[in-house]
Amino acid sequence: MSRLPAVKGERIDRDTAVEFTFEGRRVRGFRGDTISSALTAAGVRILGRSFKYHRPRGLLSVAGHDVNAMMQVRNGGRSVPNVRADIVPVQSGWDVTAVNTRGGLESDRLAVFNRLGAFLPVGFYYKAFHGKRWFPYWERMFRRLTGLGEVDFQATARSTPKRYEFCDVLVVGAGPSGLAAALAAAERGASVLLVDENPAPGGSGLYARGGVSDTAERTEKLIAFVQGDSRITLLTSTYAAGYYADHWVALVTPECLVKVRARSVIVAQGAYEQPAVFRGNDLPGVMLASAAQRLLYHHAVAAARRVVVLTSNSEGYAAALDALAHGVDVAAVLDLRSECGPLSKPAAEELARRGVLTHYGVRPIEAVAREGGEVGSLAFESTAGTAPGRRKIQLDGIWMSVGFAPANALLHQSNSRMVYEPSVEQFVVKTLAPGVYACGKVNGTYSFEARVADGNYAGASAAAGLGLGDAPTGKVRSPLLECPTHAYPIFPHPAGREFVDFDEDIQVKDLVNACQEGFDSSELMKRFSTIGMGPSQGKHSNMNALRILAKVRGEPIEALGTTTARPMFHPVPLSHLAGRRFSPERRTPLDSQHESLGAVWMPAGNWRRPEYYAVAGKSREEAISDEVRAVRTQAGMIDVGTLGKVEIHGPDAAEFLERVYTARFSNLKVGMTRYGVMLDETGVVIDDGVIARLGPESFYFTTTTGNSATLFREFGRLATWWGLQVGLVNLTGHYAAFNLAGPNARAILRQHTEIDLSEAAFPYLAVREALVAGAPCRIMRVGFVGELGYEIHLPAEHAVDVWRVLLASDSPSRVKPFGVEAQRMLRLEKGHIIVGQDTDGVTNALELDMPWALKMDKPFFVGQRSLRILEKMPRRQTLVGFTLPQPTSGQAQRRPKECHLVLEGTEIAGRVTSVGWSPTLARCIGLALVTPALAAGKQLKIRIEAGEQITADITRPPFYDAAGERQRLGDPA
Amino acid sequence: MSRSPLDPALLKFPHVVAGREQAILRLDDLSQHRRFGCKGPGAEPWLAAAGYTVPQAPNSAAVDAAGVMVARLATSEFLVEAVDDGSEHVNSTRRQLASVSRPTNVYPVARQDMVVGIQGPGIQTLLRQVCSVDFAPLFESCGPASGPVVLTSMVGVGVVAWPRRTEGGHSLRVWLDPSFAHYFWTTLLEVGRGVGALVIGSNT
Repeated sequence: MSRLPAVKGERIDRDTAVEFTFEGRRVRGFRGDTISSALTAAGVRILGRSFKYHRPRGLLSVAGHDVNAMMQVRNGGRSVPNVRADIVPVQSGWDVTAVNTRGGLESDRLAVFNRLGAFLPVGFYYKAFHGKRWFPYWERMFRRLTGLGEVDFQATARSTPKRYEFCDVLVVGAGPSGLAAALAAAERGASVLLVDENPAPGGSGLYARGGVSDTAERTEKLIAFVQGDSRITLLTSTYAAGYYADHWVALVTPECLVKVRARSVIVAQGAYEQPAVFRGNDLPGVMLASAAQRLLYHHAVAAARRVVVLTSNSEGYAAALDALAHGVDVAAVLDLRSECGPLSKPAAEELARRGVLTHYGVRPIEAVAREGGEVGSLAFESTAGTAPGRRKIQLDGIWMSVGFAPANALLHQSNSRMVYEPSVEQFVVKTLAPGVYACGKVNGTYSFEARVADGNYAGASAAAGLGLGDAPTGKVRSPLLECPTHAYPIFPHPAGREFVDFDEDIQVKDLVNACQEGFDSSELMKRFSTIGMGPSQGKHSNMNALRILAKVRGEPIEALGTTTARPMFHPVPLSHLAGRRFSPERRTPLDSQHESLGAVWMPAGNWRRPEYYAVAGKSREEAISDEVRAVRTQAGMIDVGTLGKVEIHGPDAAEFLERVYTARFSNLKVGMTRYGVMLDETGVVIDDGVIARLGPESFYFTTTTGNSATLFREFGRLATWWGLQVGLVNLTGHYAAFNLAGPNARAILRQHTEIDLSEAAFPYLAVREALVAGAPCRIMRVGFVGELGYEIHLPAEHAVDVWRVLLASDSPSRVKPFGVEAQRMLRLEKGHIIVGQDTDGVTNALELDMPWALKMDKPFFVGQRSLRILEKMPRRQTLVGFTLPQPTSGQAQRRPKECHLVLEGTEIAGRVTSVGWSPTLARCIGLALVTPALAAGKQLKIRIEAGEQITADITRPPFYDAAGERQRLGDPA
Repeated sequence: MSRSPLDPALLKFPHVVAGREQAILRLDDLSQHRRFGCKGPGAEPWLAAAGYTVPQAPNSAAVDAAGVMVARLATSEFLVEAVDDGSEHVNSTRRQLASVSRPTNVYPVARQDMVVGIQGPGIQTLLRQVCSVDFAPLFESCGPASGPVVLTSMVGVGVVAWPRRTEGGHSLRVWLDPSFAHYFWTTLLEVGRGVGALVIGSNT
């Protein structure tokens, strides 16, 4: 545990010190240090507590997977949880504490769980939540005790830009094979994006040296070639978190999420070194050999003074030489094999010359902690070699190098097929998905030369697949001199504490018990035991768990299969996933006019609309009532530009509308409009609007605000499907529209247009095209709000001018702008429905009591067939109107709100769909969808807030002007 | 000139964050240019008879010597705009299309679009944050007078985008529904400020 003299290739800047605190203690490191490397250099070995038993834990991988070394980092008022100490560069001023402790790392009160293991069996969560009675208790307890880190609720939202990238070839992993693949593809003219999760390229080529610099120098040459090739873009500190269809790969950079669309993908992600499983394998000081090597060469830190290397491959012997090269005492090499393999032999002989004893046929028995919790000794038994027998070695570090598991999550996600290959004791590629390639360790290739050759082949193949150069000739596989991975590096102990999964503290016996309880497939075992479900997602545990499962079932691993890591297979910051928030908002051309009139805004679909216009000294309700009264007594004007607006032209235009709407349009006269209801195939009401006939083959019609975009797409689909000769034009955003309504509407409009507005020339439901205030307009005489009204539609660029002219009129009265709330009340007084408010996702046309709108004798309309079936069935619900008694003067009246329930006895029998205070009628009125039985009665019981019930009288709408005389208001006598 | 759907206040300070000479990104409101749209089976021959250069390939555009661009959207819809010059010609055709005696099988398409011009060395950086289409090969394949047209989505809004190679480099002209004008412009400014020095203008 010390900082070494300068190491060639180190990634620290010794001229720039970094000072921070860890658990209250001041620590000094260098720029380029990670939190873990700085702490290790400072002699700190316990970095965190385990999730379940709160055991002290230290380094494991130093590769971004040290789940027991996650930190809460506070800096400058910000507090960030779950910072991965093993990869995040530390910065001056940081206040770092370990997550998942109570009372601090050294004296974690929850360490008591380490002695309660017998009461926390495998599947504890499932068993705890099995019964209803204790569910709330367990839930509270788990919520209190579990969870990593603390969310800073005061944190401000970060707008993280997402971006897109494009390339011919995406190479994931910049180790020797990835570098070679990138160069091979680029040489053939491909644009290459090369990404690596580490802060610098090179992978194990730079740190797995075996005490010499040959491999590192060759790797550095590859890096230099890559950096000098303009066709290759290198992104470091970036990991590929998920593969999606068509070579769409999610890259997570320190700043943002990058979505890459590649024409082909080469997976060169290497392999995760795997731990051996023996009692005490989680003690601080026990780590993967590659972790120790990374610290040596990247940060010039020796992770121990005296180590044993527990190994079963040549990489372990190389690690022992690396230790010696930096002054670390190697107490022994413990080889799990009965003899040294040919690839390991030269290193073994070198170690022997330097006085390091190697034991063979080793079975580790137990690592024991010294005072303070760090590893202090290892007891083992050797059964082969020159000195068999039981031994115990005093040490402060155990470096494990017993094998690898391929980082093949992307390959799985791309639908490539894997197969277990016993000769390398790992899954290798059986079949690659089209356009996907693999090379290096993920492909079962381990020597430096073989990995470079494999990368060359993959890069050339990917380029050739894109038509760049010829396909490479037959792949040459180097002979495998020894297997890099031990078949079963698992050594159960009667007293347990041999950890398979460091995320969830899962021991060998937990998995054996899970199998015995029937969870004996990889999928079931994962869910029951939670193995592989922690932050590292099983990168260091899934393979060993699979080996245990295979042994318990007495089957080979290849018979079991494995799980597929879903994207994202590595944790991604939520801010990255959220990205920059794009929330398109639409505004009508009159938006600035509403703003200047004091509009109070409300959302309507993705539009913003004036809810009402604020008036100084008046409440919201008073302002809305004034707007309603203005329309009923004089004139008002509302912006209805949010309506969907569509033109349809062509010889089949009328036929199209006949099929889309329930009403008849073939007999609609030119110059007239008609109300239309639109259904889906099941007869459910999905929209309504007004259809105007402009010419024999031209119609103009409206849809509801929220449905306009969806319906226009559907119209296009239907027109194509039906093969009708029509042309559809979407005018929704390009046209403005406002409704001038009230008894004075005609007199006001007449001042600004030359067309004849008389009842005879422009009757109710007519449409005319004319100039209004000099602008070309379509004027429809409709009566949604129940008064004489003109809905004026015009190109958006003229909207402001015409609106201003009409609003400035003062004879015979001024025009008062009114908002959505006033319009809702005005139409409610008339009993007019709003689709989506007075209907829901299952309301069919028969339930709305509008038989006049359904022309069942037409040959066809969408939903007609379903209505014919529904006609023969009892109604599920019916729309009814209701009124509340007029309130007693001076007494507050309790009123229902929309969505309050209608009751029949104690059963739910419907709901209120619209309700409000009618200034015109001076009482509360509403609509409700209720059962037909209730609809046939005289009163409704409505449950309002706090469970109180009120009684309403069923009243057939319209509540106002039942004869419809006001909207047909003729010329004054 | 057409009226822009954009609030003029959005073209003023504080959105101008750099002088034109240092700008790596320039956004212009080009909505004022004259334009019209039409579709239908008779649209193509009618445009050709009216003297326009009509591109043959779906989703492509061509600019004639008078400075009028005709874009074919999908197969039989057309967007015609006086992008460099030619307002008179466009105005005259537009009036004909709006008259009662418009040609048969030609349907007018109202084009009150918000039109945004994007140019500058930072254009690719911006586009890669707002759109999933790779414009790099499109810029390579387009010329000053012809090239592809892309119907896509930018910052969540459906747009027609026309990449163009000009003397000053690459530019992109984007047409969108005017109701999104405020959102689109302010969002582009926000993203653009992150890209680097930015200037905005109108109709230049």
